[in-house]
Amino acid sequence: MKKIYYQTLKETLFHEKLENGLEVYLLPKIGFEKTYGLFSTKFGSIDTTFVPLGQKEMVKVEDGIAHFLEHKMFDMKEGDAADEFAKLGASSNAFTSSSRTAYLFSTTTNENECVELLLDFVQSLDITDESVEKEKGIICQEIKMYDDDPDWRVYFGAIANLYHNHPVKIDIAGTCETVNNTYKDMLELCYHTFYHPHNMMLFVVGNIQPKELMNVIKDNQKKKCFLPETSIQRKKIEEPESVDVKEQIDTMQVEMNKLIVSIKINDIFMNPLEKIKRELSLNLLFDLCFSKSSTLYNEWLEKGYINETFSASFTQDRDYAFILMGGDQDDYQLLQKTIFDFIEHIDDLVIEQEDFERIKRKTIGNFINSYNSPESIANSFSRYYFEGICSFELVDYVSKITIDDLNKVKKYFNKEYASTYVVKKDK
Amino acid sequence: MEKVYKMNGYDLHLIPTKKFKNITISLKLQNTLDKKTVAKRTLLSFMLTTGTKDYPSTQELSKYLESMYGMKLGSNVVTKGKSHVINVNSICINQEYLPYQEDLLEKQICLLNDIFFKPNASNGCFDQTMFDRKKKELIERLISNQDDKFYYSLERMFEYMGKGTCLGISSHGEIEDIKKITNEELFEYFQECIIHDKKHIYVVGDIQESIVDIFKKNILFGQNENNFETVYSFEKNRKDLLEIIEKQDVTQAKLNMGYRIPSNYKSNHHYAFVVFNAIFGGMSQSKLFKVVREKNSLCYYISSSYDAFNGVMIITAGIESKDYKQTIQLIKEQLKEMQEGHFDQNDIDIAKLMIKNSMKKTNDEPLSQIAVQYNRDITGKQESNEDYLKNIEKVTYQDIIDVCQEIELDTIFLLKGRNE
Repeated sequence: MKKIYYQTLKETLFHEKLENGLEVYLLPKIGFEKTYGLFSTKFGSIDTTFVPLGQKEMVKVEDGIAHFLEHKMFDMKEGDAADEFAKLGASSNAFTSSSRTAYLFSTTTNENECVELLLDFVQSLDITDESVEKEKGIICQEIKMYDDDPDWRVYFGAIANLYHNHPVKIDIAGTCETVNNTYKDMLELCYHTFYHPHNMMLFVVGNIQPKELMNVIKDNQKKKCFLPETSIQRKKIEEPESVDVKEQIDTMQVEMNKLIVSIKINDIFMNPLEKIKRELSLNLLFDLCFSKSSTLYNEWLEKGYINETFSASFTQDRDYAFILMGGDQDDYQLLQKTIFDFIEHIDDLVIEQEDFERIKRKTIGNFINSYNSPESIANSFSRYYFEGICSFELVDYVSKITIDDLNKVKKYFNKEYASTYVVKKDK
Repeated sequence: MEKVYKMNGYDLHLIPTKKFKNITISLKLQNTLDKKTVAKRTLLSFMLTTGTKDYPSTQELSKYLESMYGMKLGSNVVTKGKSHVINVNSICINQEYLPYQEDLLEKQICLLNDIFFKPNASNGCFDQTMFDRKKKELIERLISNQDDKFYYSLERMFEYMGKGTCLGISSHGEIEDIKKITNEELFEYFQECIIHDKKHIYVVGDIQESIVDIFKKNILFGQNENNFETVYSFEKNRKDLLEIIEKQDVTQAKLNMGYRIPSNYKSNHHYAFVVFNAIFGGMSQSKLFKVVREKNSLCYYISSSYDAFNGVMIITAGIESKDYKQTIQLIKEQLKEMQEGHFDQNDIDIAKLMIKNSMKKTNDEPLSQIAVQYNRDITGKQESNEDYLKNIEKVTYQDIIDVCQEIELDTIFLLKGRNE
């Protein structure tokens, strides 16, 4: 077991790669009552075309299958995994993103047993045709819950507009139709391919004894048999550079019109360091322009171009990246014009040293603050892990970013790759 | 463990712990929940964090907070039964984590003082630009909150159920009332709050007792002995069940049900009701979740919650409107099952474990820890977490059956699609 000390955060992380390929990370938090375990697989909603384990040909599975599988993982021979956690005094949950699925528990007692239960329920699949059928109604209600959320509609619409082929344009849960077309054998195929230990990572943080817990985990894994490691072949997505839809207007019963301008970024980095540098630089740039301390932001606010709902963000994952900017505004054309003017004139934006240093301080403070929450430590670790980045190092990367780095990311603000999505009041 | 100091016009509560990398300070102002003042209090909470004499705009103040390593300064309002509370929270990283020595703590405390005693105001008014901007911002936020249909339908349910009582008063007031508030009026009300509101300050983090002197030196309110009512039990104010169906452009119907119950935070049945609610609908092992979601696939979310300060229970669920009758039927059946004692020791054990788990978790979150302690302090309840867990442990099968006999459905509010 390797021990790594992070000076800035004053945290000690323990790590070991087990014989079956599973990567295990343990972070003891002294004085905490809570323990939080997160077991993630590199399998998300965009993994719908791949070569199944032990086969040779690519297959296409239904959209939303990673999320469907997440729901069904909780079925165990003994009953429901959530009930088993409850018997130990723990609560459990799971979530699916575009590139990963994660299962978690949170407890203040029986920590080692909870970790074993987490491993056991995720490392076995116990479904029947009947249990798969039954889940469909529940998932459809989940999809409909999001349909009624106008913020979700404009957010998701703005992303979907950018892509011709990339499956990130499809809702993580799929549609009621794809959910209804999902069957037991397809779920099993995905399970065997993506839930192999070498495609997974376990992170436990909180009130734990690292040595003792690592032994519990090793003993647990020794009892199980897995096929030898093979690398998973996912279909490389052919995505044209252009955006799919330039502008789209959706109507809904909302109190105020909503608009998001999205910008597609076609440079996809494979090098983790390059990737993280770009992300931190863009986040600092957005903070400089659009936090409450910014002159530009306050000017927009005073002139009524935007209101406090306005925000700008950068998202990147395995093989896609985009920028989103927008908010609520009845005069959405004014907001659209404001954002496009910003995009067009970004090169004229001068970054003052003083502002830059201040925003960096804030970012460093925020990173340190986030290490008070076991949930956010684990979630952030898992989010960056499959990208090849260690989240404990982020705070030190931020310190090294320069104004020059920020100037370099301005090139991503390109009108040609921008699209607009509006949710408008229906009268 | 918490230590309390009587200060000038406020109680200072210190909760020292070494486990956090930051210091959390929460200042709470309490007064009577009243339809006439609630809008003013909400707008005031908004104004409090927009600037001071030294940092006279949102922009200047934000710059200052950023230079303090992203210190957080926020405010919100909540109701506590018959009381209304303004929270001002400030969170700053512990200076021990700075690359070089800098005194953040005293600055953090001074800023709280400046908010009240060195505001960005002159001639009996707040800065007019800031006032106009914040008023507009609050109105817009309340308007766009209505787009959250879950939240909207729940608010509407309380409005109908609590009509003419404090349950029916929204914690943030009505948009129309906010529109009418003038700058002078608000500033005058601000001065009244400084004098009359009951104040508590909580500090959580790696702190020494010497911090009391910093507070003594920097924060002084006038003496006040006011006390305000909090906990009560919502009472029946009409003969029949009220059923309201509203139509909007939604694809999923939002069902909300409000119940009168024989328990509140101060009653002897409180602990039994906490356990009852956990078994009935408060967690994912609950009867409602198991039967309505897992067995009948009627919804994605369904839960019950116990509002101990108003003495009511609420059920919320997202369903297909065609399943409305069936869902209500199932919920009623589950309540009847509980009343007839159709649950076992295993259900009770799991519920108690989960309650224990969530209580212990609050110790890992400064603001939750403060919230739990504040509930006790404003109700005069002498209770430690250990006492609470002992009382939960004592709850018996019979106690649970007894406490749910008098649960009565009061109001149903359904928000459904236009074409259904």
